[in-house]
Amino acid sequence: MSALTSPGQPFDADAGAGQDQQPAAVPAPRGRRRTELLMLIFVVGVVLFAYANVGLGLNGKIPAGMFEYGIAFAILVGAAHVAVRWLAPYADPLLLPLAALLNGLGIVMIYRLQEAGRGGNGGFVITTMSTSTTALQVLYTAIGMAAFVAVLAFIRQPRTLQRYTYTLGAIGLVLVALPAVLPASISEVPGTLAKIQISVGGFTVQPEEFAKLALAVFFAGYLVTKRDVLALAGRRFLGIDLPRARDLGPVLIAWGVSLVVLIFESDVGTSALFFGLFVVMMYVATQRSSWLIIGFLLFIFGSFVASELFAHVRERFVVWLDPFKYVHTIGFQTAQGLYGLGFGGVLGRGLGQGQPYNTPLVQSDFIITAFGEELGLTGVMALLLIYGLIVQRGLRAAIAVRDPFSKLLAGGLAFVIALQVFVIVGGVTRLIPLTGITTPFLSQGGSSLIASWMGIALLMRISDTARRPAPQPIQDEGMTQVVRAG
Amino acid sequence: MNRALRRVSLICLVLFVLLLVNVNYVQGFEASSLATKPGNGRTFSASLQFQRGSIVTADQKIVAYSKMNKNFGEYQRHYSFGKMYAPVTGYDTLYSQTGIEQAENKDLAGTDPALEVHNLIDLISGKPKKGATVELTVNSVAQQAAWNALKASGRQSGVVAINPRTGAILALASYPSFDPNMLATLDGKKLIKNDKRLLADPAHPLINNAISTTFPPGSTFKIVTSSTAFQTGKVADENTQVPAPTRLALPGSTTQLINDNGSACGNGRVSLLYAFTVSCNTAFGDLGLHLSGSALRAQANKFNFNNPNQTLAPGMQVAQSHFPLYTDPAQRAGGAIGQESDTVTPLQEAMMSATVANDGVLMKPYLVQKVTAPDLSAVQTATPSTLSTAVTPSQAAHLQTMMTSVVQNAAGTAHATAGTQVTGGIEIAGKTGTAQNGINNSGLDDAVFTGYAPTTNPEIAVGVVVKGGGFGADAAAPIAVAIIKAYLNSQGKG
Repeated sequence: MSALTSPGQPFDADAGAGQDQQPAAVPAPRGRRRTELLMLIFVVGVVLFAYANVGLGLNGKIPAGMFEYGIAFAILVGAAHVAVRWLAPYADPLLLPLAALLNGLGIVMIYRLQEAGRGGNGGFVITTMSTSTTALQVLYTAIGMAAFVAVLAFIRQPRTLQRYTYTLGAIGLVLVALPAVLPASISEVPGTLAKIQISVGGFTVQPEEFAKLALAVFFAGYLVTKRDVLALAGRRFLGIDLPRARDLGPVLIAWGVSLVVLIFESDVGTSALFFGLFVVMMYVATQRSSWLIIGFLLFIFGSFVASELFAHVRERFVVWLDPFKYVHTIGFQTAQGLYGLGFGGVLGRGLGQGQPYNTPLVQSDFIITAFGEELGLTGVMALLLIYGLIVQRGLRAAIAVRDPFSKLLAGGLAFVIALQVFVIVGGVTRLIPLTGITTPFLSQGGSSLIASWMGIALLMRISDTARRPAPQPIQDEGMTQVVRAG
Repeated sequence: MNRALRRVSLICLVLFVLLLVNVNYVQGFEASSLATKPGNGRTFSASLQFQRGSIVTADQKIVAYSKMNKNFGEYQRHYSFGKMYAPVTGYDTLYSQTGIEQAENKDLAGTDPALEVHNLIDLISGKPKKGATVELTVNSVAQQAAWNALKASGRQSGVVAINPRTGAILALASYPSFDPNMLATLDGKKLIKNDKRLLADPAHPLINNAISTTFPPGSTFKIVTSSTAFQTGKVADENTQVPAPTRLALPGSTTQLINDNGSACGNGRVSLLYAFTVSCNTAFGDLGLHLSGSALRAQANKFNFNNPNQTLAPGMQVAQSHFPLYTDPAQRAGGAIGQESDTVTPLQEAMMSATVANDGVLMKPYLVQKVTAPDLSAVQTATPSTLSTAVTPSQAAHLQTMMTSVVQNAAGTAHATAGTQVTGGIEIAGKTGTAQNGINNSGLDDAVFTGYAPTTNPEIAVGVVVKGGGFGADAAAPIAVAIIKAYLNSQGKG
């Protein structure tokens, strides 16, 4: 492993609270929790401002429950902050505020969409949303943050997860496969072919969101033990290191899993996500770019075969090429999303003043187009930069942490966020063919939100481990330096 | 592993840069073309969020206005006079616009660049955005009289009244008509239902007969034939004697041109004035035989025939009135009396009289007098312009004498139905037309009338066509009389 870089400024001279007893001679490591708190106060301010803005934009009044919602959101965020102070004091100070900001803005947009056409507001009611959708999303946020705290509380050392590599792998596979074997009445998302959920008694879970986390842990655990074999054995061909045929097994299994998702659950996006996650983790583990090339070629091949075999996949390509030609049929949603983005222009119509209700299912897959319509290009770029920062902080933790398992896991978790944002935002903005997956933290729905918070908790746990100061020597060893190996 | 992780960071950076570049393209560059793509209802819906400007008549009667519909939370368009102004205002619906609603959409919607400064001031001062008011040239009294008269005829018909001095349109009516309120509904399903109903109506109420339908001009075309005779020097003035046989043999044809009911025209050689007054076909057929096809066509063009690009307002297209180049003498004789392939719109009929009334100068007809911003400042005001000079003032004077004779001379074709005894003293000048229809003239004749009043210092010129109305003097002239009387009385000139 190459020389270790400094993760942030863990040895900043400005001592954080609680480190006062440290000898003055040794600079105390800095947790930067105060930075996090300030950022969180800013986040609560921004979210409440946006919430007020929605009401003013819709009917000129500050929305009802502004105070209560504000207090509730502040308490949730505050509780998460206190938990981080207690459980992961050295964790990255930006991850929690960034995720909270996305989550808060998501709730605001869901409230705005829920209010369309209701109570004398402009537009028409989005029939797939009820008057309790926002309250439910706030509840999911609470559960998500509880899950965040639980992950931090139960996983004190990221390495402990490595023990459950195969258990989590099995759980991941079961979670992926479950909707495929369940009857369509339980697993199919209404109005689509996608069999990706388990819906019982009005309560819906999308297990693949959690499978993503379990499989990331499994891949990390598996690859850490196999990486030397995967990296060293094999031949060189055309300047590319090819792995041995039998070592191809796992990548083929991962490919198979993503194909199962694609074929039996009709979920192209998640399929691409799983496969991309595995290939990139494989690459990080082995450092051999041949995996990236093999993976990319397999994916292109798979997409091609899928588009030849399945009408619903081919349809996505057709719509991608010219959504306006099919504006009244299969291209309706994509075209309306684009119209919304265009309608918003550079500065947006203002919250509550666009017409996002014209786009079907705008509250889930297409929520970024609602932001684009009402907050404009400016707002969308800001959101993308927030995602970019989360990914960057995650990758930074991966680089900083010493333990290879944690490195792989953090790298995989950070990359999967980037890939997910790319697939869905690229899909609705017609950069790539549209595949319906959730927009992390923004889309309406519990599973994605809770799983996203758990992912952030894992990243924060790993960054905490990375930034935690080395144990102080018990005796004063004079001039002896503590050498930290990477 | 860090080297690989840095590479992964780079991959992530590339992914985000791709997304950022793409959203910049979509929202920054593609936005304006997306706004006009099919199925994009956002732009129109946004226009319902503020008050569209009103359309008013020259005498400030509100014809079309927008009012907040509480059920939809959007502004709905209302048309105060229903069917009467439909050919003028057109409609403004979720899917399309016609008439003035389309022509002046940018002003009414407040999106015209000329209104930007007003909008900015409103934005700063917190006033709600509002469209500009469009003031028509139409006079509400003349329009009311025109609509009532057409409705009373019960036949497919159109009428246009023009101020001959300026070209300002004083009335423009069509029958049958439709109620634009039917299409101004905010209920999309109801709109589609009403639209289908109107499209399926066998009477074609959506067609604007005043400017979009062409009819045969009949004897009213003799105005153009006379003008050609003056222009070419074939005939010196209205008193010049011309041959007017009872039957005119047509070269290369077995049919002979006859007068109405085969009657004689004087003693076979009459003054042009007399031939015009009693509308002898043989006299003008003979002129047609002796005038060149190109001279007739050139003169017709000066009267606005064969003009494919005429509009009353931007995009408000007028159907082309047609007078072809007749090389065959027999056909040319027919064309000279308004038969064969000659066609006119009621607007064209009005323009012919307007030219004569304005001493030979044809003014460009227009429908919008003024556009006023919400703060009452004028954004644009119409300035009359000349379309062409059809005849010299002295030739126009000959034509004025002839057209006056048609109505004022006891022998004139329109004396009984448009003379001073029925107009309450208003002196009208005009020309009747009765255009034969169908195979061997078996169909009902179309009634045509073109005229102006008063005969000295004319203020209004009218063109009327009533499909299947019979004699022009009986079916069309009274409509013109009704409009002229109503208008001049309202102006205190009656």
